[in-house]
Amino acid sequence: MESTPEAKLVADGVWKVFGARSTRATDVVLSLADSGATRSHILEQTGATIGARDVSFSVAPGETFVIMGLSGSGKSTLLRCVACLTPVTRGSVALDGEELTSMSADELRRVRREKLSMVFQHFGLFPHRRVIDNVAYGLEVQGWDRAKRHAKADEILELVGLTGWGNHYPQQLSGGMQQRVGLARALAVEPDVLFFDEPFSALDPLIRRDMQEELLRLQHTMQRTIVFVTHDFDEAIKLGDRIAIMKDGEFDQVGTAAELLADPATDYVREFTRNVSRAKVVTVDRVMVALPDRTTAATSAPGTGANGGTTVPAGAVLEDVLGLLVSNRGDVSVVDDDGRAIGVVDRSRVETVLKG
Amino acid sequence: MASPAIDSRSAALTSDIGRILDRVKTMPLAAWFGILAAGVVLLQLLFAGSESFPARWAAAFADPFDRFARWALENRRSGEPHPVFTYLFDPLADAVGWGLASVESTLLWFPWFVLPIAAFAYVARTRRWADATVAAAALIYPGLVGLWDVTVETLALMAIAVFISVIIGIPLGVAAAFRPRFDTTIRPVMDAMQTVPAPVYFVPMLMFFGIGAVPATLATVIYALPPLVRLTTVGIRQVPTASVDASDMFGASPMQTLRKVQLPMAMPTILTGVTQTIMMALGIVVLATLLGAGGLGQEVMDTLAQRRMGRGVATGLAIVSIALVLDRLGRAAAVTDRSVLPSRRTVWWGVAAVAALTVAGRAAGVNTFPEVWDTKVFDPIDDGVDWIQENFRWLTRSINDGLVSWMYVPVKDLLIDTVAWPALVFAGSWISWRVAGWRLALFTAAAVSFIGLIGMWELSLDTLTQVIAAVVVSLLVAIPLGVWAGRSRRVEAALSPVLDALQTIPSLVYIIPAVTLFTVGVVPGIIASVLYAMVPGVRITALGIKQVPTESIEASQTFGATPTQTLLGVRLPLAATTIMAAVNQVIMMVLAMVIISGLVGGGGLGFETISAVKNSEVGHGFAVGLAIVIMAIILDRSTQAIARRLQPPTA
Repeated sequence: MESTPEAKLVADGVWKVFGARSTRATDVVLSLADSGATRSHILEQTGATIGARDVSFSVAPGETFVIMGLSGSGKSTLLRCVACLTPVTRGSVALDGEELTSMSADELRRVRREKLSMVFQHFGLFPHRRVIDNVAYGLEVQGWDRAKRHAKADEILELVGLTGWGNHYPQQLSGGMQQRVGLARALAVEPDVLFFDEPFSALDPLIRRDMQEELLRLQHTMQRTIVFVTHDFDEAIKLGDRIAIMKDGEFDQVGTAAELLADPATDYVREFTRNVSRAKVVTVDRVMVALPDRTTAATSAPGTGANGGTTVPAGAVLEDVLGLLVSNRGDVSVVDDDGRAIGVVDRSRVETVLKG
Repeated sequence: MASPAIDSRSAALTSDIGRILDRVKTMPLAAWFGILAAGVVLLQLLFAGSESFPARWAAAFADPFDRFARWALENRRSGEPHPVFTYLFDPLADAVGWGLASVESTLLWFPWFVLPIAAFAYVARTRRWADATVAAAALIYPGLVGLWDVTVETLALMAIAVFISVIIGIPLGVAAAFRPRFDTTIRPVMDAMQTVPAPVYFVPMLMFFGIGAVPATLATVIYALPPLVRLTTVGIRQVPTASVDASDMFGASPMQTLRKVQLPMAMPTILTGVTQTIMMALGIVVLATLLGAGGLGQEVMDTLAQRRMGRGVATGLAIVSIALVLDRLGRAAAVTDRSVLPSRRTVWWGVAAVAALTVAGRAAGVNTFPEVWDTKVFDPIDDGVDWIQENFRWLTRSINDGLVSWMYVPVKDLLIDTVAWPALVFAGSWISWRVAGWRLALFTAAAVSFIGLIGMWELSLDTLTQVIAAVVVSLLVAIPLGVWAGRSRRVEAALSPVLDALQTIPSLVYIIPAVTLFTVGVVPGIIASVLYAMVPGVRITALGIKQVPTESIEASQTFGATPTQTLLGVRLPLAATTIMAAVNQVIMMVLAMVIISGLVGGGGLGFETISAVKNSEVGHGFAVGLAIVIMAIILDRSTQAIARRLQPPTA
């Protein structure tokens, strides 16, 4: 795997097997899987389920990595493995070069206190604690004294827009507000890495969108490293710097939203991309016909090409170029940052991509 | 190490044997009955004249226990006690004894009116004013009838027993929640503990601690522990995984997660367990008088012995009122809805007010309950009882004679004097085999023979006869009533408060009206058993009927079925498993009561246990206790197995 030295979090060949009664049974399952047996075949033969199958990825500091899949795809299992809530069957997970999967319980606890946090699907709030004590929980575990941790919690509550709710109990809040508490609780410890396990799926659509915006706003200033699990492709596109599409315990494809939309690697991925408005996501450089020679002389301003044609920057999305293509009745050249023409897009190519 | 191939072959072989042995379970009923009848007749002919089991081991079984008890007595009393007593039993007994004395003197130190006021305030904080009033009134009542001091004595005994139960029970429950292996180990033990009638625990306590409040307290702890352990385990396991995961993710240690998340979130369930433990403790504390515990139980025994029925009824009501107080306090404790509960400041004001009242009361010299009425208050009750006995003698006598001559005597004659013991052992095992499988059949054969060998044959059959009689009567009343309550909301609403009240009443109290009406002998025991066991019988039956899906009933009605057809064709079959669970409960409760009714001359194992405890016959007590335990296990297992077999198959 491209485990670049500056990666924050690296998962390397992670396997998770459920339902194997003994280590020997696990070995049988793994050797069957190594010889290429399918998930259903293994289930039939051994009664064991493969939750994650040789999954590797790395997340750069400040990056939001989204794992997207339908229920049963193994996405939550993978996240729980990465967060060390479930032991991996094979493979490893490392944070800042420290291998989490081989740590003792004490070491893992130290790393969690210093660097990790998680937001849960059903919030996982503590109903017996007031909102402020929920938010301050991580600090309490670390041994902060009451006044200090409450001051910090108040600060975070303000950040997520819950000023004045500290003395309520979670059940007295709406679902959206409860998840804000969940978010605040995760942020209070100032973690390096945040795990999100379908955090907004229990909320209704309008509130879900609010929460997504909220997360984007916070992430814009915080720049945390995020691993986000969802079953909602739109959410994945909205939040993810990179997205992994997961199916049957494996990644079908990993890439930016534009990459997935422009060239879906499998039919499965194409299924998801079908309903997405590509015009807003795919950039022109992904659909252009590249020019063999990049030495063509630069022209003065974007808008007019060397031969009088229209040009667009490489980073423009298809929506921007559609109008030009329709009014121009011809090709549009694509130029790089220095104004050099690097390719050409024509109308039929763009329309093919837009139709999926 | 055995190879997997051999492992699997031997496993297959065992399961083959199991399948062949379980053939009895699936053989046609007619064939099964045929073999049963043939076997009984054959054995009856072969062993004619051996109705009574040869009690070969009676002496050999009792002897070691008696010797140990003698040894314990000598080593405890001698100038140089054995280290086991110096370092284990005596300190334990001293600590419990000290606790009892201090709680009792503390409760008596408070001016009497502080206790009802504090109880009222505690319940009223949940804004259940009716409950609060009931709790306060129920605490005042014993004082009014001159039972304040004995009531406080019983409360002290309860407080210490419950305190010890909590200290032991909650950690055990927590351990079981985290260690499934430990859970599966203690669960059958606790199941057994709950099926065994309370007096059985008295014998071993007697052996180690002699007579007094200390063994009584410890017997209470053992008896009352299981529900607390179980509900603690359930409560901890019910905490959502997400909450525990969240705590883990913040780097909380297991201890931190337990203390800050799991225990607080399990608290409502744990408090329900504490309430159940309290109610069970009350049931046995009044019986523990047999071990010389004193308190209200002693008062009941005295009045029963002296046949002062008025006072007996008044004392019984005092026990009931304690049950009421504790029940209401327990319910109030389990309320965790913060929108109902008062603020911290209000609570502090309440505590301060109670403290001020205490100080004021002490300053004014108020202490124990003033003598409001002298014992003349019981005279009208005595007169009333006399009048009832006089005027309803025709009724009670005919019930009495009917039960004795139409049920008790014929069944007893059949079991004890007619059928030869090998035929009975065969019949018991053959029935167990059919309902539960060959394992229970083997156990039944061995255990029943063991009962015979240790000389408990006739006593056990006597008790079994009483159980059969009481169960038949209970079910004849409870099942129709339960079906009725299950079908009609109005009937249920009318019955529910009565059943609620009856359910909190300790078993001993049921004896009082039964004895009042039916004097002594087998019948009051049977009547008390019927009253005691009916409550869960009606409850669970009604629940089973109510649980039948409306869809099934409507489906039946659309085919034009009459209500009776729907009842027999749909309601009862679908409720069968639950009704069988009711039968199981009825049987277990009847057994417990039949044993206790040994107090009023019930005969059989019950009378033997109680007299063994009274006369410190440890060896004999153990033999009787073991017979009771065996009977409880067989009855429990077989009825549970029937309930399981009645369950409709699931996908």
